[in-house]
Amino acid sequence: MNKRYFFLTLLVLIAVPKKVLAHGANIEYRETSAITIQAKYDDDTPMAHAQVVIYAPSDRTTPWLKGTTDESGNFTFVPDAEPNNVGDWDVKVRQSGHGDITTIPVTGSKLAQNVTDTQLSATGAGYTSMQKAVMAVSSIWGFVGTALFFSRSKSYK
Amino acid sequence: MKKIASTAFGTTPWVFASIVGLNSVFLSSCGQGNGNQTIAATTEKGMLALVANGEDFVRRGFVSKDGWQINFDRVYVNFSAATAYQTESSFEPQKGDTKDSIQYQDKVKLLDTTKTSDLAAGEADAEPILISEVNVPVGFYNALSWNFSTANASSPIAGNTIALKGQATKEGQTINFDLGFNHPAEYICGEFVGEKRQGIVQADTPGQVEATFHFDHIFGDANTPSDDALNQDALGFQPLADLAVNESLELNETDLSTSLSPQNYQKLTEAVLGLGHVGEGHCVVSTSQ
Repeated sequence: MNKRYFFLTLLVLIAVPKKVLAHGANIEYRETSAITIQAKYDDDTPMAHAQVVIYAPSDRTTPWLKGTTDESGNFTFVPDAEPNNVGDWDVKVRQSGHGDITTIPVTGSKLAQNVTDTQLSATGAGYTSMQKAVMAVSSIWGFVGTALFFSRSKSYK
Repeated sequence: MKKIASTAFGTTPWVFASIVGLNSVFLSSCGQGNGNQTIAATTEKGMLALVANGEDFVRRGFVSKDGWQINFDRVYVNFSAATAYQTESSFEPQKGDTKDSIQYQDKVKLLDTTKTSDLAAGEADAEPILISEVNVPVGFYNALSWNFSTANASSPIAGNTIALKGQATKEGQTINFDLGFNHPAEYICGEFVGEKRQGIVQADTPGQVEATFHFDHIFGDANTPSDDALNQDALGFQPLADLAVNESLELNETDLSTSLSPQNYQKLTEAVLGLGHVGEGHCVVSTSQ
């Protein structure tokens, strides 16, 4: 209810989280484009512990992520690599009757970087269900084609 | 090798066709990127309502920053033009913005005429007041503008844009107040900011946009720290109580401008103009209509 206006300062950071597996000696890393927002009142006071709600471009009605800003009003998230999430990500921050919504455009290249980097991971977590299905079916057809190839070639011997 | 390969494909043309088909599926799955799956741009229509909300301050009353219990019988506002917009990115109004500042993809008129509405109507748990309802193209209406204009003679608040009627009580003293304000203004707002997202219209699901009014901006709020900007900027009720005659306070804009100190009148004017919000989201106010 307060008249103080606030604004969100957006900082786009490159975060490089390293992932260490619990078993074996493999170390993987994934470089992603993280987005950090900073929410402040117009007198520069950080919106500490404010509610954050993020909506992805593919579904503007259902929150994609909920969280809370830190002491400095910062909140960091990594947009997912789904192709249909290229576009505008909406970020809402609320606290004690104050609130604002801002839009962060996420470009295809930024997501492409995420996809490429994720593909380095052995887990394949970056693929969509459709992509996984297509890859599986393609592999099966590959085996079938190979089998047919060798079965036909035998008749020419 | 060439003959073998040719024969392999020649005897199994369906395999080749299937691979081509699979490639099509794959390209298709990769190419569905930019569309908004949930709210597609179609020719379908749905209902969009404009509601006005005085919140619990109006419906249940509250204690002003200077200790007056404020209860409202009537809170009239005189709407005129109201328009909802669909913008690609969220519209965040900045000082100096006008309706022309909104870069919209589509807009719909929600109110063409003037309409006086009572925000205090109904019980303490009443829903926001319906101002208008229009059949509109489906989509996401994430910006809103409306005007407050001076009510004409047929309105219960003729000559005013806003009128407040109620009682203020403190330490056994009760003052019946009837205050009229006349500040024609245009409000330029972005998306509603609240618990739930608003403004989404689907063919089978109506949407709503809300003009929200924060009356604690005029009187302050005893539940908010005294050094908070809200209470620093609010007039409170005491300067008005000091103008009461026989525990009655009937003042219009002209009376207020001549009876209050210039500083308090300025404070009151800014507070009245700053009433309009969209949920918790702030609006830009233009008085040069």
